[in-house]
Amino acid sequence: MSFCKALAAAFLAMFATAALAQQAPSAPPSWQQGRDAQQASSPLHPFAPHMTGRASKDLPLDKLKVPAGFKVEVWADGIAEARSLALGDKGTVFVSNRLAKDVYAVVDRNGQREVKTVLKGLNAPNGVVFNKGTLYVAERDRITRYDGIEDNLDSPPAAKVVVDGLDPQNQPGHFWKFLAMGPDGKLYYNVGAPGNIVMPSYFQATISRVDPKSGVVETYAQGVRNSVGFDWHPQTKQLWFTEHGRDWLGDDSPSDELNVVKTKGQHFGYPYCHQGDTLDPEFGKHRSCSEFTPPALKLGAHVAPLGIRFYTGKMFPAEYQGNIFMARHGSWNRTTKQGYDVVRVTFDADGKPKLQPFLEGFLTDEKADPPMWGRPVDVLQMKDGSLLVSDDYNGIIYRVSYAKK
Amino acid sequence: MNGSFCNAGAAACAAALCLLTGIALAADPQLCAACHGPEGNSVIPANPSLAGQPEQSISIQLFQFREGNRKDPQMTPIAANLSNKEMNELAAYFSKQKAAAPSHKTAPENAAAGPKLAQQFNCVQCHGPALRGQQHIPRLAGQQYDYLLAQLRKFKAQKRADLDGNMTSATEPLTDKDIEILIDYVAGLSPQ
Repeated sequence: MSFCKALAAAFLAMFATAALAQQAPSAPPSWQQGRDAQQASSPLHPFAPHMTGRASKDLPLDKLKVPAGFKVEVWADGIAEARSLALGDKGTVFVSNRLAKDVYAVVDRNGQREVKTVLKGLNAPNGVVFNKGTLYVAERDRITRYDGIEDNLDSPPAAKVVVDGLDPQNQPGHFWKFLAMGPDGKLYYNVGAPGNIVMPSYFQATISRVDPKSGVVETYAQGVRNSVGFDWHPQTKQLWFTEHGRDWLGDDSPSDELNVVKTKGQHFGYPYCHQGDTLDPEFGKHRSCSEFTPPALKLGAHVAPLGIRFYTGKMFPAEYQGNIFMARHGSWNRTTKQGYDVVRVTFDADGKPKLQPFLEGFLTDEKADPPMWGRPVDVLQMKDGSLLVSDDYNGIIYRVSYAKK
Repeated sequence: MNGSFCNAGAAACAAALCLLTGIALAADPQLCAACHGPEGNSVIPANPSLAGQPEQSISIQLFQFREGNRKDPQMTPIAANLSNKEMNELAAYFSKQKAAAPSHKTAPENAAAGPKLAQQFNCVQCHGPALRGQQHIPRLAGQQYDYLLAQLRKFKAQKRADLDGNMTSATEPLTDKDIEILIDYVAGLSPQ
């Protein structure tokens, strides 16, 4: 019987693994977790970035579309797996990655961009934020600080640990962290759920914060499956964040979310309730969505919203003030692909958010595999008010500017 | 035979390649031929063919060697000196070469059992229905038997770099016998 055979194999594997490394057998990859029996042979799969980058001259840049009066151009290329962006006081742009181990610095010298590898040998350093002369980096398991790094790009200071022990179980999924500095001087970061749809531990599926002075950690928002982008509203100072919904519930369910934290400790539903109104088929039994905070805006299923920034610059037209720019990495767990763009969130007189297209053209064939030639990850407002957009699939950073008429 | 040089001694081969890579080279694919065969069609059982592999699958493995995620006494020092651009050029070159028909002949009983196992253990889900690879996932069809066998065993022993954990997970339930049947089957498949 195949069951017996599988059981025997499992036993053997357990024994062999235990003897080798004293650890349990590896679970299915986190992206496969939660599939039902019919989905086991699904051709849907996540896309891997070109880890060695691709030259912008080889890409169909003419497909990129921005609203009238705006212009999009390649700002820098050759930045392998460019993920999160942070702006130094002196204009250096720091760029992170997730599957590599480096942090890059891009320095603008009279319009020529020089890319330096400033930090090496890190563990999934996806989160970067710059504040008052210090670069903070969120790795898989710790947050570190590099004081005065912008004056020492060729001989960066040694890492000082702000907090460590952030990944005690070496979690298989959602181990990469976004990092941002709050208006309260505390560092905010996500601890994702360890799989697609699993019961998280007490500190997983949260947005947490740490005081860099004391190292004290607090949970700020709960029930957040994984957020890889947040920012504070310039007036209300409330934290807005993007969140990826679970996979394998179908092409159109559930929606990814834009959320706002109004009170510390609010619970946003995972793993019980998705998109504010849809109970999970397994974890939602005997629960009610009314227990949880619903999203401020539904973003569409599987669109994978990542970095967001409120726009406060002077370059774009006045109606862009206070809008959110949001990078959407694009869907994989959907037969017809969507996302792969930068969208603009506007607010009406009652503060109700609404999505509008902003930068499109990466998605070229929604039925193809792969369907896109580029994937936005983060957005960054520059001092002149222009907007940088990172693309980890190609290792490219684009710049969107507005020419006044 | 060109290949016997590398086969004879890894040290000699590595030394020769160190010498070659020591020169400031613009990633000349001919230098890879010593071990990977003419146009990337390997004639050495332990070394993989690169000809006709998906472009991204080649560049990502070179990246893994350079970053130390995947280790090999011969490939590690070679990749250490390659820039991203050179890796892309090599990947582009080899992906465009025609993969030669395999010399391996699948045993008749494994030609029948292999496809079932490839389905059962989800090989086809990522490597494709004809196991010819896609994007960052390598072609298995017609690849060198010894190379494939060694890699699958390393994945199972959790001793080979795995970008996303998929292969470590996929090999977990495989028995030694499953591995032998699967490799005998895929090594004999037509690469195109």
